[in-house]
Amino acid sequence: MREVTRRELLGWGLAGGAATVLGGCATPGTTSVNAQPVVPAAAGEKITLTYWAWLKDLQKVADIWNAQHPDVQVEVSWIQGGNGGGYQKMYSALAAGGGPDLAQVEMRTVPEFMLVNGLVDLERYGVSEHADKFDPTLWSQVSFAGGVYGIPQDSGPVGMYYRPDLYEQVGAQVPTTWAQWAEVAPAFREAGVYIDSFPLDDTSPFTAHAMQAGATWLRSEDDGWVIDMASEATLEVARFFDKAIDDDLVTTSANPYSPGWYAAAADDKIASLVSASWGDALLQSVSGADGKWRVAPAPRWDHGYGSSFIGGSTSAVLANSKHPKEAMEFAVWMNTSPEGIDAMIENSGIGWSPARDYIGAPREEPSEFFGGQRYNTEVFQPASREQNPDWQWWPITQQTFNILGDGFRRKATGGTLVDAVVAAETRTVEVFRQKGLTIRKADR
Amino acid sequence: MSTQTAPTTPGTTRRPAAGRSPSRRTVVNRAPWILVSPFLVLFVLTFVLPILVAVGQSFTSVTRAGLFGEEGVTSRFAWFENYRLVLEDGNFVASIWRMFLFGVVQVPVMIVAATVLALLLESASSRWPGFFRATYFLPYGIPGVIATILWSFLYVPGLSPIIDVSEKLFGYTPDFLGAGTVLWSIANIVTWTYAGYNMLIIVAQLKAIPTELYEAARVDGAGPWRTATSIQLPLIRPALVLTTVFSIIGTLQLFAEPQLLKTVSPAIDSQYTPNLSAYTTAFAYNDYNLAAAQSVLIALVAFALSFLFLRLTNRSSR
Repeated sequence: MREVTRRELLGWGLAGGAATVLGGCATPGTTSVNAQPVVPAAAGEKITLTYWAWLKDLQKVADIWNAQHPDVQVEVSWIQGGNGGGYQKMYSALAAGGGPDLAQVEMRTVPEFMLVNGLVDLERYGVSEHADKFDPTLWSQVSFAGGVYGIPQDSGPVGMYYRPDLYEQVGAQVPTTWAQWAEVAPAFREAGVYIDSFPLDDTSPFTAHAMQAGATWLRSEDDGWVIDMASEATLEVARFFDKAIDDDLVTTSANPYSPGWYAAAADDKIASLVSASWGDALLQSVSGADGKWRVAPAPRWDHGYGSSFIGGSTSAVLANSKHPKEAMEFAVWMNTSPEGIDAMIENSGIGWSPARDYIGAPREEPSEFFGGQRYNTEVFQPASREQNPDWQWWPITQQTFNILGDGFRRKATGGTLVDAVVAAETRTVEVFRQKGLTIRKADR
Repeated sequence: MSTQTAPTTPGTTRRPAAGRSPSRRTVVNRAPWILVSPFLVLFVLTFVLPILVAVGQSFTSVTRAGLFGEEGVTSRFAWFENYRLVLEDGNFVASIWRMFLFGVVQVPVMIVAATVLALLLESASSRWPGFFRATYFLPYGIPGVIATILWSFLYVPGLSPIIDVSEKLFGYTPDFLGAGTVLWSIANIVTWTYAGYNMLIIVAQLKAIPTELYEAARVDGAGPWRTATSIQLPLIRPALVLTTVFSIIGTLQLFAEPQLLKTVSPAIDSQYTPNLSAYTTAFAYNDYNLAAAQSVLIALVAFALSFLFLRLTNRSSR
């Protein structure tokens, strides 16, 4: 062994460092799997697919498939939920040229994965023959520029949870329009109750309200993205909640499903909650809430749609999958077959199923928690059909949400939601351009 | 390492006779390298290389044409463009100033508290110093994440007994999570966690003071106060400098507390602290180049502030 001088060691370190720096600079995700030849279906041999998801006990669902398909076995690995660490793991795996065949990716995150060439275009594997099994609105949210980039897995049509006893106490009718909602809200304040809360740091409820009012913030066209965030529909929603907050009709200090909100709800201080269908399970964590809540359709704007979606995820086939066709077939089976849906509701507690014709057997039963109401068939099933069909997500959804949320927080120190929306539109355009993407403002 | 088969290099020609068993001197020279190599390998892999990669990334810019980059992705050397974008980002700059304000208030409060606790424990009249030392140090044993969750229950209206008691006794509802107060709620958690730790460093230094000095002071008629100001404080100066520098660096790296309190306080945005900003840019926006530039800037600011503080303390001690 030759003596290593300090100078040599330093030299190696610098050389190695420089090599790694250069290697690191070759940013991953710059070649597209969708420009390469289609991967043929596995010819007879036994294959194993991996699926990264944060739904609990999803392996039990996959086991039903595995029993029926000895040649295509599916192994589920649990990962952290989305931005809580799951996406970071997927991005790293993709960058390293690996990763699972399938991964749970939220609807709104699908375009972000497309930006790093992380998803397989399933159109090339014949997904269109399954299109009519899915809710058309959700199907359009995974379709971009003639391709399909994920199989819808669950979602959350919006309705209104409410407390009949509190409404009765103040003598208010359950509102069917937002105008009525604003009329009855002051009565609750006199009783020390809030009709609802408005989160300043979570923009997804606001986004859903705008979606319901008929806004489409961004859409992809042949010549690039078209942004229309500060449209009249959105600004009207922003003005409406600006006024609601100014008049102290809603609380901004207890976000839905936060510890403070649970405490207030348990203390009978929250009369209603406009939220997604998956809120039913969360409401059951309110202590002593058994039998007290009911569900009604969401209040409407005087234009737009009956409901909207909050949340929702897909089973997406990741770029480095060796068996994209089989992965797609499993995802379609899991998300549309009655046995798959029922197993996912039972084991994983998924949100609203994206299947067009089947909501899941457990969801057709009357609910004991909601006082025997068949709220799923009564409220959420119709809501899932009254959706804004034009809505699309965009490649920097999370960043736009954060920019908007940062703007909303200024409401506490004198800003307005309207200003936040206008500023978020401008900033989103800047970020698009920084990334080199084509974007223009809508003519209005 | 390639050794025997290595081609002739200036290093090998220096040897008197090739093939001879290595002399005692070279063995002695080699030993430290072998012993230190496990550390060195890990140090280079997990510390030096990531820093170099981050610096490299911070000078790179990736642009994607079309809707999703389907019309071509180019990555190029961007000089200081990422740094320009970061410095133009008002929220990021504001987060650095916020930490500056935080540090100016919180670090002195914590260091004074740690010093007072240490002096009390080391004074001749203290009782059960071991018990109290352990008690003060205990919060440091609780991971920052858990500490923040514990404190958040004391901050959230409806759950907090502090707010309940204040309402009942004084009719005043404190808002620990508002836009103007949450920074100090975080400062409180940090002080609670680290005051005991800093105290321990100071106690260690106090214990190193020779007893003769105390005896001399006593003979000269110095009381506890005089002993503290004239003997102990000047002699624990190195410990104070050390803890302050650590605290300055720690302040700029504040992350876990605001990240967790975000869920209960709308006032904390995605760029509340510099580290939170870099985290969001990297892992929520997937923009590693910009995040690298932010990280490098955070490191530079921490370095500059620590250096400045050391310079100031060195000068005043002369």
